[in-house]
Amino acid sequence: MLEVENLVKQYGELTAVADVSFTAGAGTVFGLLGPNGAGKSTTIHCISGLLKPTAGRVAVAGFDVVAEPRQARQALGVVPQELALYEDLPAIENLRYWGKAYGLNGAGLDDRVREVLTHIGLGDRAKDLPKTFSGGMKRRLNFGCGIVHKPQLILLDEPTVGVDPQSRERLFEMVLQERDQGACVIYTTHYMEEAEKLCDSLGIIDHGKLIAQGTVDELRAELGARDVLQLSGKFPEAETKQAVAVLANNGLHDLEVLAADDDSMTLALSAGSHHLPRIFTAISEAGGVVTETSLKSASLETLFLTLTGKDLRQ
Amino acid sequence: MRFMLSTVLKDLARWRQDKSAILMWVGIPLLVGGLITSLMDGDGGGQPSGLLLIADQDASFISGLIAGTYSQGELGELITVEKVSLADGRERIDAGEASGLLIIPEGFGAALLDSTPVTLELKTNPSQTILPGIITEVTEVLLDAGFYANRMFAEEIALIQESASDDQAPESAVVAAIAVAFNERIESAAPLLFPPALDLEIAEPPPEAPSVSLALLFMPGIIVMAIMFAASSLAEDYWAERELGTLRRLVFAPGQLLAFVVGKALAATVLITMLAVVVLMIGFAYHDVSWDRLPLSIAWIALSGLALYVWFGVMHLLSPNRRAASLVSSIVVFPLLMAGGSFFPLAALPDWIASIGRLTPNGFVADRLTTEITSASATTGVISSATTIDVSSWLLLVMMAGAGLLLNLWRLNAGFARA
Repeated sequence: MLEVENLVKQYGELTAVADVSFTAGAGTVFGLLGPNGAGKSTTIHCISGLLKPTAGRVAVAGFDVVAEPRQARQALGVVPQELALYEDLPAIENLRYWGKAYGLNGAGLDDRVREVLTHIGLGDRAKDLPKTFSGGMKRRLNFGCGIVHKPQLILLDEPTVGVDPQSRERLFEMVLQERDQGACVIYTTHYMEEAEKLCDSLGIIDHGKLIAQGTVDELRAELGARDVLQLSGKFPEAETKQAVAVLANNGLHDLEVLAADDDSMTLALSAGSHHLPRIFTAISEAGGVVTETSLKSASLETLFLTLTGKDLRQ
Repeated sequence: MRFMLSTVLKDLARWRQDKSAILMWVGIPLLVGGLITSLMDGDGGGQPSGLLLIADQDASFISGLIAGTYSQGELGELITVEKVSLADGRERIDAGEASGLLIIPEGFGAALLDSTPVTLELKTNPSQTILPGIITEVTEVLLDAGFYANRMFAEEIALIQESASDDQAPESAVVAAIAVAFNERIESAAPLLFPPALDLEIAEPPPEAPSVSLALLFMPGIIVMAIMFAASSLAEDYWAERELGTLRRLVFAPGQLLAFVVGKALAATVLITMLAVVVLMIGFAYHDVSWDRLPLSIAWIALSGLALYVWFGVMHLLSPNRRAASLVSSIVVFPLLMAGGSFFPLAALPDWIASIGRLTPNGFVADRLTTEITSASATTGVISSATTIDVSSWLLLVMMAGAGLLLNLWRLNAGFARA
């Protein structure tokens, strides 16, 4: 359904997306994970046709988004990060208008609008103006406007930002329902729990590069079930790295320094809680001082930390 | 085509929510037009009139003649004369109830005939300015006239006074004798009184075109002002759509940008046309302009509204942000209104200023509309469906609208909608 091949997007000297490739099939949810500024939205904009790629190819339902934009866009439904609604038009008229923008008319349009209203849970508020809606209701209507033409590929760009938990759950249900009806959903987020809950496969993006991709299980396996230990304090770089190397050679074989500077250090290791005393002692003997500790068990979030050396929400 | 129609309906539905804007667009021309019309065509607040009290203590023919003079002709429309007793007159003038009190003393008539000094007393109301001045001037003129009449017709006047004082109508023979004497005196004095006869060649001026009121000349400029304000506000909706995010969503839809731009322009035209219909009908009815000029006037304003809207759209779409767009629009609108005859009609301006004003888009529109509604057939009621706006003017507006639409489309495609 979606093929992204060697996608590059540059703004002058700045490379926002660097050689990104992935595919997503019908009836699946593909999550694009990364911190703010990683290149998720730029990738989504290149897929939607909002931005023209500098290099590479994007095909939606077999249509190249640059060479055959009309056909590609017809197959595409975009739910933008910000609301894109006519606040002074009733909800039903918003849906009708965007349905017509994609060529729906007559009874087909009426049926689909009714279906979507039910789907997004706004059947009883169809004739109300969105400006009278809560934030969550507006988000749902925003979603409805993006899928009213029954697209084969749905792009959801961080749809849960600023959404209350109840509306978030409703949105998840709607996404999964679209997937079950055969749509391919591309879902960008920096909430790991959303990705774990919704996505059949994931791509992790940082600094414009896709640094890992696969199913959730595949990515967990890649991490090797190691915990991630984040330490804050004072760490003389050379001495503490040497101390960690000594530990690795003396029983902690999978201990690895993911990131280190004078004030913080991030380590990956198995059964981290059992080895904390040894690690603290080694650091102390090397002249370091630990003031704060955080141990995270193996998860996608720790995978992200392992891959990038930084927290997903940074 | 369907999406274009859908866009028209969508925009009309949205604008219908903004009743205050619509009321303002209709209200501005009606308010300004009403003010100007009341200034130009009003009755000036009525003609001043005053009360002159006359205490005639002489009660002679001559004193009666003087008192009666104030009631004659146009003077009589200004001044109401009321004969009063001296005491009543003094009391009322002191109370400010009249513009003036003229006291004609006893023996005034005889003194005038005998050419002996006599004093007429005129008291004026200090709280009034114009009418007491008029009364004073008239009284002075009357006394001068009486002096010269006495010089010429002293005997005849004495005869009249004598016959009138008998309380009986003078005999026909006396009247005839007086008339003959008057004629003889006038004929003998004619060479002195009247200038020598001149041969005059009187050239008849060509028949004038029906006069057009200044208030009617203001009407086109005011209407154009209203559509400029409306067009500018409507064009700002591009910014509203961008802020709503709907323009960006539109970019995702397959090839609908042209239909969207045309649809928005048509919706704006519909609103401007509705505004034009209301204002023109009121203007036509008030100024008694022939109704057969209405359809073409509406069509002209509708097309002008479309052209102005798309060019305001260009201005908005080229501006870096909404505030700058509003600022640029305001900077452009007010000088154009000033130069284009909205604050003062082009027809009433010096030719060189008017010719510059006609070069402005709004001046061009107002000038053609003025021609349409003030042409001979429009003001004389001759039925004629032919427009007085030339074909080249219509074509120019069509081209202006077309070029503006293309620029709107280009700018939306070039990034405005994607931002």
